[in-house]
Amino acid sequence: MRRSFPFLALLLTVSVSTAEPQVITIKTLRAQMRYDVADFTVKPGDEVKIVLDNVDDMPHNLLIYQPGTDVLDLAAKLMDKPEEAFKSGYVPNDPRLVARSKLVQPKAKDEFTFKVPEKPGVYPFVCTFPGHAALMNGRMRVSLVTPVLTGLKFALYEGKWEKLPDFNGLSPHRQGDVSDGLIQIKLDDYKNHFGIVYTGKLKAPKDGDYTFSIAGDDGVRLLIDGKTVVEHDGVHAVTEIKSAPAKLKAGEHDVRVEYFQAEGELGIYVAWKGPDFPNTALTKWLHPEASLNGKVAGKQNAGKTGIPLLVGTEPVIYRNFIVNAGARPIGVGYPGGFNLAWDAAQMNLALLWRGGFIDAALHWIDRGGGDQPTMGLDEKRPSGDASVPLAVLESPDAAWPVAEKKKAKALAEGYDWKGYRLDARRFPTFAYVWKGVKVSDRFDTIGAAESGGKLLRTLVLEGAIPANAYMRVAAGNLQPDRDGFLVDSALHVSVSGAKIFGNNLLVPAGAEIKINYSWPDPNATTTQK
Amino acid sequence: MMKFSAFLIISFASALVHAADPKESDFYKITTFDTPLETAMEVSSIELLPGGKLALGTRRGEIWTVSGANAEAAKVQYQLYAAGQHEVMGLAWKDGSLFTTNRYEVARLKDEDGDGRADLFDTLTDKWGVSGDYHEYSFGSRFDKNGDLWIVLCLTGSFNSDIDFRGWAMRVKPDGTLVPTCSGIRSPAGIDFDADGEVYYSDNQGPWHGSSTLQHLKPGSFQGHPGGFVWYDKAPNMGPRPVEPKDKSRMVKERERVKELLPPAVYMVHGKIGNSTSFIVCDTSKGKFGPFQKQLFVADQCFSNISRVFLEEVNGIKQGVVFPFLQGFKSGLIGGRMNENGQIFAGGSDRGWGAKGGKPHSFERVDWTGKVPFEVHEMRARPDGFELTFTEPVDPVSAGNPASYKTRAFTYIYQADYGSPEVDDVIPQITKAVVGADNKSVRLTFDKLTKGHVHELHLDGVKSASGLPVLHASAYYTLNEIPAK
Repeated sequence: MRRSFPFLALLLTVSVSTAEPQVITIKTLRAQMRYDVADFTVKPGDEVKIVLDNVDDMPHNLLIYQPGTDVLDLAAKLMDKPEEAFKSGYVPNDPRLVARSKLVQPKAKDEFTFKVPEKPGVYPFVCTFPGHAALMNGRMRVSLVTPVLTGLKFALYEGKWEKLPDFNGLSPHRQGDVSDGLIQIKLDDYKNHFGIVYTGKLKAPKDGDYTFSIAGDDGVRLLIDGKTVVEHDGVHAVTEIKSAPAKLKAGEHDVRVEYFQAEGELGIYVAWKGPDFPNTALTKWLHPEASLNGKVAGKQNAGKTGIPLLVGTEPVIYRNFIVNAGARPIGVGYPGGFNLAWDAAQMNLALLWRGGFIDAALHWIDRGGGDQPTMGLDEKRPSGDASVPLAVLESPDAAWPVAEKKKAKALAEGYDWKGYRLDARRFPTFAYVWKGVKVSDRFDTIGAAESGGKLLRTLVLEGAIPANAYMRVAAGNLQPDRDGFLVDSALHVSVSGAKIFGNNLLVPAGAEIKINYSWPDPNATTTQK
Repeated sequence: MMKFSAFLIISFASALVHAADPKESDFYKITTFDTPLETAMEVSSIELLPGGKLALGTRRGEIWTVSGANAEAAKVQYQLYAAGQHEVMGLAWKDGSLFTTNRYEVARLKDEDGDGRADLFDTLTDKWGVSGDYHEYSFGSRFDKNGDLWIVLCLTGSFNSDIDFRGWAMRVKPDGTLVPTCSGIRSPAGIDFDADGEVYYSDNQGPWHGSSTLQHLKPGSFQGHPGGFVWYDKAPNMGPRPVEPKDKSRMVKERERVKELLPPAVYMVHGKIGNSTSFIVCDTSKGKFGPFQKQLFVADQCFSNISRVFLEEVNGIKQGVVFPFLQGFKSGLIGGRMNENGQIFAGGSDRGWGAKGGKPHSFERVDWTGKVPFEVHEMRARPDGFELTFTEPVDPVSAGNPASYKTRAFTYIYQADYGSPEVDDVIPQITKAVVGADNKSVRLTFDKLTKGHVHELHLDGVKSASGLPVLHASAYYTLNEIPAK
């Protein structure tokens, strides 16, 4: 899968080894007041080393308590005496403490080793730094069942596939044992174009109903005793977890996991859940969604949803961070299912999409960090990049000035943002000044976005427009289409006087520029070659 | 913004107080308003509008106008004036327009068609950096005596300055020019003026801030966190970049090395006064808010309380004392304003940073009941101690007895690590307590004063002439300078 998914950075490592203490690395999630692992399982009597890696900007700790301890109450009571709490390093004076870290300063780590209590149960853990406990807590499960694969072997195949091949007809490039019993990808020299078959045995503790879950980037297939239980073939990201039930008899079963990687990001996740044990990973990588609740992750993998902003008879404006729209985006949801994000740093249309507008949950729950993905369909960035709308070019074939990656969120040079005005229907007109020219940029809707409707954009330039000034209407794969152009086969654009120069669709900057945007009708006969 | 927090149920001190003893609510009453159910009224800024109306700015980026909040709570009315702004952390009314400070701009909002909703969103300036980090909050002031607005820009992630002028205080001139004014800001959460129009902001515990603070924004000064020094290159008006403060030092020591370093006017002692200082209000109501005219009232997000500050200037440096004042607000206070009737409007949220109040958001009002609490009115530094004045006559016997007072002095480590314990303890002895002729003042003589230390004073043994204890018997004086006379 080529796209990069930000949460891959959050994938965590739980590595198990029989000789050494089991090491569990728990990271704090930056600016979210959460641990990345909120649930893990260990065996009674084992030596366990917990590494608390505080990548956040605030101090955090991790205290594990006996089953049944109300850790939120414990943390709250601590602040009845803030001075004592501070001096104690925020360690409540409570005998139910099992093990704990030190107070870990930002960007620091602490590790502590302890013997897991013999008594099975759910042991809560919590950060007792003031104000953190409500969100920053989790469960350590002490369970006799710590199901891992035995006799795990891998066979690596080279090849360029878009679907899982028949590995039986191929010879492995190399093969060997996976010592720690956890399915994993040892990258070594291989990053693209390979496949791996893992084989091993899994011991079901009793007769009953089990559930197997997989996620992969790219295709994954899980077979038990030679029969496919669940698969997710093809090229895709690890965002989606697929699950399927299986009835197993007590005892050992053959497990076979087939996996291939095309290009770009990679990852594999396999887990199982039994009649009396929770969802437990068989892979070194845990799926971030699975570690929380095993829910299927949707498009909005940031995990916060539930405050969708509904557009009624008036446009709705949302100014906050939006994915691919810079640090100063103005989201506008128009009636009729048209949505856009206008970038007040580049002074340009950043995104167009249709259908649902935006979910504010990412910014309106907790502290509100991060860029919010849009909600609807057919999202398109007509300019392809963070770039300005207007420029003076020596020739129309010249390269369009595009913000350097590290400056993509900075204010565009030569432009001054002037704000916006709402008309009687509450439609905004954005205003800025470029080279002494006062520019206004507004959007009107015609019809509905779902059924052939159009968004009509009007730029008005007042003042002395410099010679050789152009507006870049779109960039990408441009094809003439009916009265205009098709951009990357995803968006139809029409504007009088526009011409294709390389990847750019340019129009000379005049006193008024009118652009129509619409989505190609999938049912219409395409004029594409 | 708020960088430190606790959530929990407040345990009122009343449990420890004798039944007959006065309590805060005898003197200052908190009224809680219902707010529209269709929104989360996470008040982050408040401004007074003509006709007794208010404007509330929220973390969700809305601005609501409120009528009737100065009278019966049940009759309060709300109208949505604007929505979709990138957090409203500053509101200032002038000539029919509402100036907002949001994440990346100061804008003039105006309702031109008279329907009660803003139509014009005219940007005055947007020339500071926004990296996309959620913590880069921008707090804005009202107009100062010169007609300028002030903004304080939180560091990136509250730690670094990744983009232009994070960690600076800037002035916005009427033509929109942005003037770099002070460096050294960390994580601000409030900005306002004293009775003379001097500008103060509140900063929060963290790196280079052992405690939350109230700081005087003296143009040209460095306020303590060196994270934003790189922008001196873009601020020629500020002179050369200061030398870096040394890590794990003391403020009083670094002031000798770093000439631009201005110490906090008042340490809002962490864990005692609050954890997360926010809005600032000056009592300019000429007595309508009680006896504390011209003093500052500083809120705390985490503690859901308001503390009281008396300031003086010694050797050209602002310094003073903080007293507990009023607790029991329903959420974490962020935005606040006092009107001409001496009513404080206060609101806030506990989102992301827990608060003792316990509610997710709140909008409340404080009224003086007309009764005068027995409190220390002012506390001034003297070359060999402090002079206290009281709101009511004291009992000369208890007030004149040094044993009625307890004291301690301490400071914080000035360091790049997060926060600091209280260090360098000194236990001064009070050698004399002399009651003034008017029975409303006491001159305390200390055997020693320590420059740069917070001097903590507890007056548990002091009674009023009518036998009452001091309502808030703790005071924390930040002794930046010891007066010569």
